[in-house]
Amino acid sequence: MKSYLTLSVLFIFLTVAYSYSADSSSAILPQKLSSPQAVLPTSDAKEIPAKSSDNPIDAIDNEYKDDQNLDYANDTFKEERIEVADPLEPFNRAMYQFNDKLYFWALKPVAQGYQKAVPEPARISVKNFFSNLAFPSRFLSCLLQADFSGAATETGRFTINTIWGIGGLLDPSSGKELDLQKQDTDLGQTLGVYGVGHGFYIVWPVFGPSSPRDSINLAGNYFLYPPWYIQPWYASLGVSTYDLVNSTSLRIGDYEALKDAAIDPYVAFRDAYIQYRMKQVKARTTKIFPSKPLEVNSPAPEPVSTGKGN
Amino acid sequence: MKKEIILKKFSFIALTVLFIFSIHSTAAAAGLFGAPQTVSKEAGGLNTAIGYRYHEDTYTGNTDHIIRQNEIYSQAAYGANNRWEIYARIGVADMKILDVFSSTDTFTTTNKNDFADNRKYFGTLGSKGFYPINETFGIGAFIQGTYYFNKFTDRVAGNSGSKPFTTDLKVDNLWDVNFGVGFQATLPCGIKLYAGPYIYYSEAKVSLAADIPGLEYADGNVSLKNKSIAGGFAGIDIPLAKGFRLNVETQFADRFSSGASISYVY
Repeated sequence: MKSYLTLSVLFIFLTVAYSYSADSSSAILPQKLSSPQAVLPTSDAKEIPAKSSDNPIDAIDNEYKDDQNLDYANDTFKEERIEVADPLEPFNRAMYQFNDKLYFWALKPVAQGYQKAVPEPARISVKNFFSNLAFPSRFLSCLLQADFSGAATETGRFTINTIWGIGGLLDPSSGKELDLQKQDTDLGQTLGVYGVGHGFYIVWPVFGPSSPRDSINLAGNYFLYPPWYIQPWYASLGVSTYDLVNSTSLRIGDYEALKDAAIDPYVAFRDAYIQYRMKQVKARTTKIFPSKPLEVNSPAPEPVSTGKGN
Repeated sequence: MKKEIILKKFSFIALTVLFIFSIHSTAAAAGLFGAPQTVSKEAGGLNTAIGYRYHEDTYTGNTDHIIRQNEIYSQAAYGANNRWEIYARIGVADMKILDVFSSTDTFTTTNKNDFADNRKYFGTLGSKGFYPINETFGIGAFIQGTYYFNKFTDRVAGNSGSKPFTTDLKVDNLWDVNFGVGFQATLPCGIKLYAGPYIYYSEAKVSLAADIPGLEYADGNVSLKNKSIAGGFAGIDIPLAKGFRLNVETQFADRFSSGASISYVY
């Protein structure tokens, strides 16, 4: 009896723990979870266009029928639900507020001043330069993903941009003729490709949204990003801050737009981050294992025809 | 088809990497004169290049010395209308001066005869203009100047009489200026052949740190200059794939110099 009770408690504990740690098995595969956070599905009923009808009663009927026809368990709908555990929500919200204030009070004013002083082509060149320096992280990630074509492309890009792009200030590799595109990958995605899930959502001060998996990426970038090796430490910090100010100056307004559009910006940024990372991992997985069946990547079934409407 | 494209890309990347790593690590580049006509797009645009030149010449100070340099450089240029171009280069070069430590005094012996130093930075500025005579032929002129930002230094040791010594020879403020006229013939496929005469002047201050009997330049700040002032150059500029071009050139003044560069046209 005692052992039965112990087993029952253990079973309940494991069930709860499993449901709480949401997508710990894979970031690619959306799973049901009991996270207290609301999730904003990317497609909801409001986005479905109303069908026109001459008879207003028919129109109302059709509308209700549409609602009835909406299958919330439908795979199409399921695969667009983005869910992540958020056990550190109070801490995360505090860090979100901190980063928000850091952006509006410090980073944005500096970036705006910089934007006025430096013309856009020069800022793009600086961005190219720092992007070129981030080559080791992308190269290693490609190798770890066994994406040898991507690693070769990155090597070619780095060589060409460094030599013929004046140290990486210009990006001839991305041009039509060479067409060596930057490999959008990092160490966090590498873990994702091999099935490591996000774990839970965490907001780091200064670094922003992340997860335990993507935090490894932050640590990896520290070792693989050459500016961090500049001595003394404040010089490397200065260079990295300049990189941040420069890149911010090129996208002032993006953050504000997303924030203004959200009812709860914290939730919106969390979901946007998770969705963005999931899509990146999905894209890499599709590239590397084209034949591997992915639940999230499975083709959506054709919508059920009601025989009415347009 | 896709495989072919990937294979082409791989070949291209492999060749590029091979070219970069085949350059000797101590090699450094003032550079080539290039075709008189700019390779930039007619509407105006950038072209960048990496180049290597082996330079050999006879310089004269107190006596004549053969100077050898390996130069490697990166170039950024802007040209337009197929008529003009301005360019800037930055690079590194080594230097070898033959027999500069050979003693003329029988009581002085040295551990080596040649001066050698590596990796000194230089910058070059230049411009060129071109006038097409017809679709095939044209004439152009260029002027370019180079300055070495660092001193070349080498240490020599030996015995003077029965006393051992160690001293440094410094080559400071090395600069040169070149002016030339080039005749160009444009062949099918965009291949450009060119040749022409040029004049040049080069100078450096040479000084030995200690007054050692039998060694030159002990009196300090002797000017080392090029022996001949005129020469000729000839080269070929070949379009490669995907916006790249190969330029191979030979220059002859008192001795032969030659080099190659690969440029990318934006």
